[in-house]
Amino acid sequence: MPLNQDVLWYKDAIIYQVHVRTFYDSNGDGIGDFQGLEQKLGYLQELGVNAIWLMPFFPSPLRDDGYDIADYNAVHSSYGTLEDFRSLLNSAHSRGIRIIIEMVLNHTSDQHPWFQESRSSQDNPRRDWYVWSNTDTGYKGTRIIFLDTEKSNWAWDPISKSYYWHRFFSHQPDLNYDNPAVREQMWKVMSFWLEMGVDAFRLDAVPYLVEREGTNCENLPETHAILKDLRRRLDEQFPGRMLLAEANQWPADLRPYFGEGDEFHMAFHFPLMPRMFMGLKLEDRKPITEILQQTPEIPPTCQWSLFLRNHDELTLEMVTDIERDYMYDAYAENKTMRLNLGIRRRLAPLLDNDRRRIELMNGMLMSLPGTPIIYYGDEIGMGDNINLGDRNGVRTPMQWSGGWNGGFSTAEPDRLYAPLIQNPVYGYPAVNVLSQLGSGHSLLHWMQSIIAVRRSTAVFGRGSIEFLHPANHRILAYVRRLGNESVLVVNNVSGTAQAVELDLRRYKGNIPIEMFGKNIFPRVGDLPYLLTLGPYQFFWFRLRRI
Amino acid sequence: MREMIISELSQAMHELARGFAHYLPRLIVMLILALAGWAVAYVVKVVLRSILRLIQFDRLSENAGAAQLLNKAALPSATEVVSRFVFWVVLLGFVLLGVSVLGILGLQEQIGKFFFFLPRLFVAMFILFFGLLAASFFSRAALLAAVNANVPSPRVISLAIRSIIIVFVLSIVFEELGIAEQTMLVAFGIGFGAVMLGLAIAFGIGGRDLAQRFLEQRFVRAKKDENEDEFSPL
Amino acid sequence: MAEDTFLTDDFLRQLINVGEVDILVGLPTHNNAKTIGSIVQTIQSGILRWFPRERAVIINADGGSRDGTPELVTGISIDDVPRGSNPYALRTLHSISTKYANSPAAPVAFRTILAAAELLQAKACVVMSPESCSVEGEWISKLLRPIRNDGFDLVTPTYRRHKFEGLLITNLLYPMTRALYGLRLRESYAQEFGFSGRLGGEFLTQNVWGDGSAGDGIELRFALAAITAQHRICQCFLGQKDHIEQRGSDLVPALRQTVGPFFSALEPDFPFWSPVSGSQPLPTFGPDHEVLLDLVRVNRKRLREMFTTGVAELATVFQSILSADTLAELQRVALLGENDFEYPAELWVKTVYEFAVSYHKSVISRDHIIQALAPLFRGRALTFIIQHRNGSAEDVENGIEALCLEFERLKPYLLQMWKSRE
Repeated sequence: MPLNQDVLWYKDAIIYQVHVRTFYDSNGDGIGDFQGLEQKLGYLQELGVNAIWLMPFFPSPLRDDGYDIADYNAVHSSYGTLEDFRSLLNSAHSRGIRIIIEMVLNHTSDQHPWFQESRSSQDNPRRDWYVWSNTDTGYKGTRIIFLDTEKSNWAWDPISKSYYWHRFFSHQPDLNYDNPAVREQMWKVMSFWLEMGVDAFRLDAVPYLVEREGTNCENLPETHAILKDLRRRLDEQFPGRMLLAEANQWPADLRPYFGEGDEFHMAFHFPLMPRMFMGLKLEDRKPITEILQQTPEIPPTCQWSLFLRNHDELTLEMVTDIERDYMYDAYAENKTMRLNLGIRRRLAPLLDNDRRRIELMNGMLMSLPGTPIIYYGDEIGMGDNINLGDRNGVRTPMQWSGGWNGGFSTAEPDRLYAPLIQNPVYGYPAVNVLSQLGSGHSLLHWMQSIIAVRRSTAVFGRGSIEFLHPANHRILAYVRRLGNESVLVVNNVSGTAQAVELDLRRYKGNIPIEMFGKNIFPRVGDLPYLLTLGPYQFFWFRLRRI
Repeated sequence: MREMIISELSQAMHELARGFAHYLPRLIVMLILALAGWAVAYVVKVVLRSILRLIQFDRLSENAGAAQLLNKAALPSATEVVSRFVFWVVLLGFVLLGVSVLGILGLQEQIGKFFFFLPRLFVAMFILFFGLLAASFFSRAALLAAVNANVPSPRVISLAIRSIIIVFVLSIVFEELGIAEQTMLVAFGIGFGAVMLGLAIAFGIGGRDLAQRFLEQRFVRAKKDENEDEFSPL
Repeated sequence: MAEDTFLTDDFLRQLINVGEVDILVGLPTHNNAKTIGSIVQTIQSGILRWFPRERAVIINADGGSRDGTPELVTGISIDDVPRGSNPYALRTLHSISTKYANSPAAPVAFRTILAAAELLQAKACVVMSPESCSVEGEWISKLLRPIRNDGFDLVTPTYRRHKFEGLLITNLLYPMTRALYGLRLRESYAQEFGFSGRLGGEFLTQNVWGDGSAGDGIELRFALAAITAQHRICQCFLGQKDHIEQRGSDLVPALRQTVGPFFSALEPDFPFWSPVSGSQPLPTFGPDHEVLLDLVRVNRKRLREMFTTGVAELATVFQSILSADTLAELQRVALLGENDFEYPAELWVKTVYEFAVSYHKSVISRDHIIQALAPLFRGRALTFIIQHRNGSAEDVENGIEALCLEFERLKPYLLQMWKSRE
């Protein structure tokens, strides 16, 4: 199946986020690799995804799960070789699946040769590639991101006897983007991968590229200028490729990253995600609708990226204190689950393994405006292990079967890069791909069908959204429109049966056709349209005028 | 001669006996009716007394102020009075019925009139009773309202209202009974008019101050003694 | 046979939209546009401040206002419709209104609120008065916390008042409630109180609604019903008690709203209160009461005049109500000069008790009995004022306590008379 050649392919994408290490081990060393992933592409194609976002696979001391990069132009030996990667790329393309890879622009590992050189002396040519200072008082007031482990954004380097700036872990020194050499080098790095055929980059930690005194060192105009330049070059030399921004900011602050369609193609909508969970617990749509109503318009070629969970903690940075306290009490009573202003749990455990809630959340993910991202394992309802440090609890091996090592690897269990989930509820004997493929009503089959329905129309990926405001606050209802096509989505975010009257006068005369079963519902007339929904139930209706 | 006297006498005796024989059955019937009437009247009296006791007629008549009246007249309680009255009326009715059997012409008509009169008598009694009740209720209501509104001479007002209502009721009663209708109407008219005129004069001339104060209190709320703080009872 | 339903379709539809709630605030109104705006703002901020995570609703039962009162209440709803300025709230806050009748009727308003509470499964409810100017947001919390946290079923308020305010309560309702029902409930006729959903649901099923005499004082009957059903009751100090307009002739309506229903309730509650002796204190959050001692001017002459006039002019009425001894005593008191005027506590207690008995027997029209009490109450009020004109808060409280004990002591007298004329 050839790749869709539309330059706006990302608007119709269903993205699968996965770390090579976690997916499938082809050589029995206990660590997933490129060849293993390549072998499982058929599974992903059947699931219905058409893009894979690979977490960092570069050589790295792995002190930040690969985001501390020691070499930009190679792959970590544990995962295979550059050839293996090329093979994966080509196989994916032949199945109509695009590949998105990480690109960490802001910082490198302190093991990277550049840093080794930079710190070696004040006169080294690469000295200026990082941000050095004799004191640690510069850029005062800049917030610390990894609150649980870092006390300051400056770290003392005993070798060069000065401080270096790091917005993340202290072993991840920030690159100095005021240096044109750095900017050139990073473009070269990106070109290397683009020439190989990579379809898109997720640019990590972009708000922090540039620092300036007297600011909070985030989202500065200089940063945007650099990004725009990258985009310009991309469009000139590699049209049809995509840049996805990772910027955990409020929607208003996120907007500049789209520019006028001349900066990023896509950005994660971070503030929406915790509010979806909050709305579910409150049994009130208010948090969800409010954040979307506050979300600014973006250029027509741009797209939001939506997700329920990812490799990081469920971040509660972009909520108020009251909301954060509520989320902690509601979802993370056990303080071990809390990390860095967030909650480090997978989707299924967060939702108490409630199939209805899992379906509802996925339903909202697939029907709200944006491109959905599925975190590996969530399609079968994998669990987590909060006893593994940092965020590793949500990065356990993929569970393929109930057999040896969950079908992930033939190695001895002790050699696995991380232990499998073992408990009776989420353990691999209970939750795995093989059994779900064999069970007609498994979550996996359900995910396949909802992805199929989502892909059957362009409305979800490209259409506008208009919220209905039924007086019953437990019902989240909106209409997606694209050209002549309209889809009515009605979600019951409460755990009890509800009745709702919708004001559908604008759509009078339309026949709602439920999109999963294709059955027709009563035609819309003058009176408010009465619907009743079971707990956590949702409807997608194609509004058809015949 | 002696034989003529005897034959006249015996003829007269015959006449008498015949007349007697003619009337005797009717007399007996009359006596029977009277006895029967006594029995019925007694039963009615007992039943009525029970009913009246059940609806606490005595209490009602107390409210009406009738009890006080009866007391003053050294009469027994209202229930007793009414029961006995009904007893006598029923008995009288039966007796009159018996008398009518005797066939004395002139009497028939009067008896007929009596029976026509009875319903109206009861209605009149009814009106009188409830009229007295109403008079008592409204006069008391007026008294209480006047006292609580600090209106001077509350008893006068109360009495005035009671009088008006009683006079009104009496005139209806008399009209119902058909006794001196015209006279009563006129008398009522004159009486009522006189009272009203009297009040008007009182308000207009003699009771100027009284009227002024009354009106002030009724209509001009804001004017309170400025040296006083207001307290709410709740 | 179709049951009469007093909830309109539109109101039911609104209730469907609200769904289950944790907290319900009931607001009966009639033409309260002057005060209602700030009151609902206060309620809203109280809910947002003290119960931000709870599902809450404000139910306005309106008796046909023509001044836009319902719109002012519904205007403080918080939802996700984009509008000018919405205070920040974690959740939707519904504020809905229904017109229960074309003219105000307190029992129907209360019944509407109770019905809404039941349909919405409200755990804790509070009724607020639409006229108080001294309402604070914290009152919501004070009235609800004992219900939510400590399992109480009824929370009645206590206030800070001037020592001469609320004499009807301190000299009649409170002592009588205490002596008869055995609980030291200060404000049985409250305009602001909290209650549990459970208590509300029970009261809703009771047969008090079709009864014409429930026209007034439904709040009082509610409190008494809670007592007789032995629910957990407590008191909570709120703050200043105020009222907007004051009229000297307020007394008779006040009596009708309180003493009337109270006397009415004595009959069905007889099995409960007749064996009770003494009284128990209630758990109280905050002070029992607070007394303001500002110097005031009272028209004592007028009070005395109204008392003596009353005793004189209503002699015929009192003959039907009071015993001969009591009436004679009253007439003696009426003759006392200004300087030695005193309506002794014992005489007052007997007066009240005899009135209660006469009410029970309906010796004359019951409404007339209530009206006849007014001038006598004035005499008693005068005595209280004279006794405490220079008194401290403690003195006043001791005086009230002494009166209460007198009521308790003479309870057998009441019982004896209650049973005797039967």
